Amino acid sequence: MAALALLPARALLSGAGRALLPARALPAGPGPCPRRGCGEAAALRAAGFSQEQARRLLALQPRLGPEQREAAAAQLLLLGLSAEAALALLERSPALLRLPTERLRERAEELRRLGLDGGRLERAVRRSPQLLHVPRKRLRAAVRLLRERCLFTAEQLREVLGTCPAVLQEEPRTLHHQFQYAYFRMGVQQKEMVKARLFQTPFAELRNRHIFLERRGLYETPHKGQTQISNPKLKDILQLPEEDFLASLAYSTPEEYEVFKKLLAREEEEKEEEDVDALYTEDDDDLDSGGSETARE
Amino acid sequence: MAALGGRGRAAAALLRRGPGTAAGPGAAPRRHRHKEKWASTAPRIASTRLALHHFDTSYSLRLGALWPSVRAGLLCEQKYGALLNNFAAADHVPQELEPLNAADFVSEASQKAQQWQRGAAVGAVARGCQEGSGEGRTVMQAEMMAQAEMMAQAEMSPPLGASISSKIKCYTFPRGDITRFRPARPDSLGLLDYYLMDAASLLPVLALNVQPGDFVLDLCAAPGGKTLALLQTGFCGHLAANDISISRTKRLYQILHSYVPREVRDTVSVTSYDGRDWDQVKGGTFHKGAGAGSVLLQVLVDVPCTTDRHSATEEDNNIFHKRRTKERQMLPMLQLQLLMAGILAAKPGAEVVYSTCSLSPLQNECVVERALDIAEAQFNISIHVEDLSHFRTLFQETFSFFSDCRLGELVLPHLTANFGPMYFCKLRRM
Repeated sequence: MAALALLPARALLSGAGRALLPARALPAGPGPCPRRGCGEAAALRAAGFSQEQARRLLALQPRLGPEQREAAAAQLLLLGLSAEAALALLERSPALLRLPTERLRERAEELRRLGLDGGRLERAVRRSPQLLHVPRKRLRAAVRLLRERCLFTAEQLREVLGTCPAVLQEEPRTLHHQFQYAYFRMGVQQKEMVKARLFQTPFAELRNRHIFLERRGLYETPHKGQTQISNPKLKDILQLPEEDFLASLAYSTPEEYEVFKKLLAREEEEKEEEDVDALYTEDDDDLDSGGSETARE
Repeated sequence: MAALGGRGRAAAALLRRGPGTAAGPGAAPRRHRHKEKWASTAPRIASTRLALHHFDTSYSLRLGALWPSVRAGLLCEQKYGALLNNFAAADHVPQELEPLNAADFVSEASQKAQQWQRGAAVGAVARGCQEGSGEGRTVMQAEMMAQAEMMAQAEMSPPLGASISSKIKCYTFPRGDITRFRPARPDSLGLLDYYLMDAASLLPVLALNVQPGDFVLDLCAAPGGKTLALLQTGFCGHLAANDISISRTKRLYQILHSYVPREVRDTVSVTSYDGRDWDQVKGGTFHKGAGAGSVLLQVLVDVPCTTDRHSATEEDNNIFHKRRTKERQMLPMLQLQLLMAGILAAKPGAEVVYSTCSLSPLQNECVVERALDIAEAQFNISIHVEDLSHFRTLFQETFSFFSDCRLGELVLPHLTANFGPMYFCKLRRM
């Protein structure tokens, strides 16, 4: 067995698969050797799964061909996921088993090139199992946005992807909006955004906390890089749990903050309605209010 | 930085800011939006920003740890109260509003006041009986009696009960509830059922404590909310509503026509004098008409001020605009002159209430103190400052009060009770 284990897992499994009869959908029996074929379980075990793990794997997507299942499982192991992590991922997202193996491999390769390897990838897919489903185009668009438009360095990008892998699943437009808010509206630089794990926080919460501080006079948008007061760090604003944020940064109470959130939500709602109205009634003349950018919708 | 800028429209929308932010051209709130490019005097630094900076400097000192909450209150949507129109067929209004949890804060306070009076009476008896048996009293009873005693000492209990039970009714939603009122609706005679206003504006009117048949002078009446409230008491024998601004007086007329039937409008005389000249212009004739000595003259002096809430959020007509600096700096003087005019117009024994919608001590306590000095020194008029501290307790469910005024009372904006700012002080001419 030891010698066999040195061969590439895929070669081993495909060889083993061809030798087996097609699998039948059967629930895993209590015995150690279900009728479906000890061969399949054995192959999985050879790949590194325990008896119990193999059983759980076999229970997923029962109609799937064994080749497919084994290939997917092997691929995940190759990526550096532990057996348990791979299994957990597949249980959360069994649709992964249906992905053509080649695609799975490409996706994983892409992610690894972005700096998500081994433990990082494991953590990332654990947090967002949909990660491996994201089309390559979308992955690349997100990365391009973060590098070329938001001007994160490669190192910063790796950090962002490691801590907030979900950015790869976001609409680039949403990402960009959140970035611009932090950069222009709050005057925060990329370095601080990374430390604060900006993209882990939903945009609404970012805005609630920021505007609450701002209206209380505790946060100021820098003008020409300077402020009259010293702003709290973005890390503290976003990472503190709500009670601590209120007590030590905002000097306020939950009661006050609750009312504020409702008022702000209503403001935003009504502003959006106004914007929609304005969109339909504006002349061309008014389009250039506020911005020097010429990009037209 | 073109890369960071992104699409023009999206970036512009992002950078368009709400109240309380550094605003450049094009950032005026939509309500009063005008075509910026045609406005030749768009300031480089927004007046709202100047106002806020001014407030940050002066009020943080005065209010200390309270200032951040007040500041946030100023910059968020204010809360309204619905002043019921007693002249309209408006019985449906309580039925409509009570299921929504709105309540008439005036009648609630009135009930409280009555409880205290009863408590005070009981307390006086109990005190006599329970000398020395301190353990017999529960904490609750002791507290009630303490409050009742405070009430009794304030010498305000009977008049307070009366004024609070005057016919003014105003509905507000509870603390923390941000529901809005629907717009007022006309009844079959065309009179509107309620008037939406900052509920804190009613407090100066309640403080004035109009008695049946009183002659009342509202020296700076426009746009007319407090004037309307005075009429709602039903006690004004005659109301003189004066305001220097003719355009704002138009609004006052509109209010009178929309809310008040003809026979009551006939008891109101609207004038456009400079309030500072009141005594010279009107003093004599007014008293003649009244029948000398038989009626008191109550005076409300609701002076022009920096209108803090408006100044922090609205660019239009903002007194912190550079071109109005002189006007703004002269405000305390103007306010003092108006208050003096009000004092001189009041007959001995009558009451004058001074009010502003600013948080500034320079426009509030300082003006009153100066007026007291001048009345004494130059006119030999002695004036008693009436204690309104019981207002703070009576209305504490609805409003957020500042507890440290040297004279008078101050309602602070707070997100859970976003009324005010409103300063008011009651004087009695001896």
